[in-house]
Amino acid sequence: MTGRQASPSLAGAEDPIVFVIDDDSSVREALSSLFRSVGLRVEAFGSAHEFLQLKLPNVPSCLILDIRLPRVSGLDFQAELAKADIHIPVIFMTGHGDIPMTVRAMKAGAVDFLTKPFRDQDMLDAVTAAIERDRNSRDEAKVLSNLHELFATLTPRERQVMALVTTGLMNKQIAAEIGLAEITVKIHRGHIMRKMGAKSLPDLVRMAELLGIGPASGQPQT
Amino acid sequence: MIRKPTIKSWRSAEQWLLGSMALALGTVAGIWLLLDPVPMAVPHFAALVLLIASLAASLIMIGLAGRTRRQMEAMLQGRASAEARAIETLRNSEAQWKEVFEHNPVMYFMVDATGTVLSVNTFGAAQLGYSVSELLGKSVLKVFPAEEQLAAKSNVGVCLENIGQTHSWEICKVRKDGSSLWVRENAKAVRRLDNQLIVLIACEDITERKEAENALRQSEMYLAEAQRLSRTGSFGWRAGSDEIIWSEETFRIFGFDKAPSINRATVIQRIHPDDRARVLRTTGRALSEWKDFEHGYRLLMPDGSVKHVHARAHAVKDTSSGIDFVGAVSDVTARKRAEMELHEAQATLAHVTRVTALGELAASIAHEVNQPLAAVVTNAAACRRWLDRDPPDLKEARGTLESIIKDGTRAGEVIQRVRALVNKAPDQKAPLNINDVINEVISLVQHELLNHRISLQLELSPALPLAVADRVQLQQVILNLVINGIEAMQPVMDRPRELMIRTCQDEARQIMVTVKDCGVGLATENADRLFDAFFTTKSGGMGMGLSICRSIVDAHGGRLSASGNAGPGATFHFTLPLDQEGAP
Ligand SMILES: Nc1ncnc2c1ncn2[C@@H]1O[C@H](COP(=O)(O)OP(=O)(O)O)[C@@H](O)[C@H]1O
Ligand SMILES: [Mg+2]
Repeated sequence: MTGRQASPSLAGAEDPIVFVIDDDSSVREALSSLFRSVGLRVEAFGSAHEFLQLKLPNVPSCLILDIRLPRVSGLDFQAELAKADIHIPVIFMTGHGDIPMTVRAMKAGAVDFLTKPFRDQDMLDAVTAAIERDRNSRDEAKVLSNLHELFATLTPRERQVMALVTTGLMNKQIAAEIGLAEITVKIHRGHIMRKMGAKSLPDLVRMAELLGIGPASGQPQT
Repeated sequence: MIRKPTIKSWRSAEQWLLGSMALALGTVAGIWLLLDPVPMAVPHFAALVLLIASLAASLIMIGLAGRTRRQMEAMLQGRASAEARAIETLRNSEAQWKEVFEHNPVMYFMVDATGTVLSVNTFGAAQLGYSVSELLGKSVLKVFPAEEQLAAKSNVGVCLENIGQTHSWEICKVRKDGSSLWVRENAKAVRRLDNQLIVLIACEDITERKEAENALRQSEMYLAEAQRLSRTGSFGWRAGSDEIIWSEETFRIFGFDKAPSINRATVIQRIHPDDRARVLRTTGRALSEWKDFEHGYRLLMPDGSVKHVHARAHAVKDTSSGIDFVGAVSDVTARKRAEMELHEAQATLAHVTRVTALGELAASIAHEVNQPLAAVVTNAAACRRWLDRDPPDLKEARGTLESIIKDGTRAGEVIQRVRALVNKAPDQKAPLNINDVINEVISLVQHELLNHRISLQLELSPALPLAVADRVQLQQVILNLVINGIEAMQPVMDRPRELMIRTCQDEARQIMVTVKDCGVGLATENADRLFDAFFTTKSGGMGMGLSICRSIVDAHGGRLSASGNAGPGATFHFTLPLDQEGAP
């Protein structure tokens, strides 16, 4: 039994995807049907190994994982994903009496867990929340990578000035700090605002925060 | 015998003659003495008297002698020499008869009415260890033991009451040395010429026959006793006549009154209705093939009780009696009952351990039920959502319903399997495929294997014949072996934990099931004790698993054994005989 379910092609579509890993084909098929009935794209796998063969598309998604899997357990797999720097919200399915495992899963960053048999609405709510969360983190990541790109266009002097500006220093103070004329600082500041696309000083401060720019470094901390 | 008194009377005539001569002489002498004191003139007178007396005696003597001589002369002259020869022949014949009488190996006695021995032959006396003279004139009771004397007396009495009639009887005599002797006596009372009643008795020694008879009677008695004690009766069956000859014990077992023989139809009526057809089949086949047969069946007694019997018969050809089958039938009710009780106890024990084993598997089993249940609930929810769409997606809805049916059935099967193991069902042997049984067990332990990170290797031969077995009992055997394998691999950390279950047919074409693990293996010092009840090396073990497995496999006519592996771990095998026609 291959875990792949009939579903629209992954390539190109921007719709979110739900991934399911369960060694029991009945459970797999039932979940697939449920998600499809509410218009969600779904991909189901019989083992963690099959899932890893896949190149994950860059769309909001979540992973539904049976906590007891043959060979590699759900918990171990969760750890494996983290190590491989794959960030995907994980919802665990557990049987009765799996409380200790559930606790471990939550500590390891699972977004939710559901005990089989679960209510369909609970499952859909959990999936919706997880996808929303993934979408947000994907958006944030996108904003951040844009900022990084913009930040990269700044000259070293401009980065230095930006760091000092965003800590709240006046132009005069900055000029004194780095041994420039006040007018030169003012020109740098204009360039920074334009290059970074900042509409106001608070806007620039927020950007600096996201980039993790501190006064000491003048470098983004990521 | 008749001659003796004749001879005697002749002899007494001679005595009479001599006596009268003596009397004559005596008379003369007496007169002489009487007259002795008479004066001297008397001698002349006395001499005269004496002379006359002598003369008279001589005259008498001469007269007598003369008469005798005349008689003899007349005989000799009148009868001539033929008579002499006849007499000679008579004498010879008499001697011969005497010879026969004395030495005929038949004992002859002649007793008078009071039982005094008047005559006995030498052989007769010798047989009793006496000489003739020791018996003559003695009571004949002397040769009977005390307990027979009354009978002896009355026998003689009977003869005396029926003069001239011959009577016969068998009686025991006692020899001089105290040993006993069985005789058959023919006797008859006769009246002698002198009117005396005597009893003539001829007896023959039947000790040997009597002993053989006694031995036979005793052995018959022993046999009857042995039959009673062993509750085993015997029978002879004349197939043609449908008559069956039974021993006393057979009548007792079947609950019929003793009779010379019994009708087969009557016997069949006593057989339990459920067993009747089978019994008739067995005997019918034995009859047509004229072969030995053996079978067990039940009797339904008139009081409603049930007896278990076991019969065995041997085909014989005895033309004299016309018997075709000779056999023995045993009442095995007590044994059957004991067996049933033992079986009951074993079943209870097996049940307890089965439930215990299931308890250990509870989490795994719960999972097995929960998986399809989760699928059912999810599919049902999906189904509702497909139907709620506008327009409803009936194709998808139908697909989910199919899944619901499939998963619901699957959950039901797991529960049924568990229930069968938990239930205390009686034996239900039926032809089954051992591979199915193994798969059913695996469905229960799947998650147990998973939890212990054991990979299961199944090598189930697809072309196995069916075995006649009790499904639940075999499930228990396999379950026990698998759980033992799982437990044996618990400490294994340095190698993959692998459990293999294989089915095949061995050289004898019996079904063989092998369960192999790579666990701690078997310690040689425990090899003999593994299958003992309560033998365990586990802190929480009960030690009943293998003992029950072995009794179950034995009850199926198979064998369960254990062996070490070339590598780490242990292997357990068991065999099952095939579903053969005519298997017991
Ligand atoms: N697969 C196995 N490998 C090694 N030892 C075994 C195996 N199966 C049974 N044994 C030994 O036989 C003993 C008796 O087994 P069993 O009758 O099932 O009782 P229990 O499992 O309760 O100990 C076990 O305690 C163990 O020492
Ligand atoms: Mg055991």
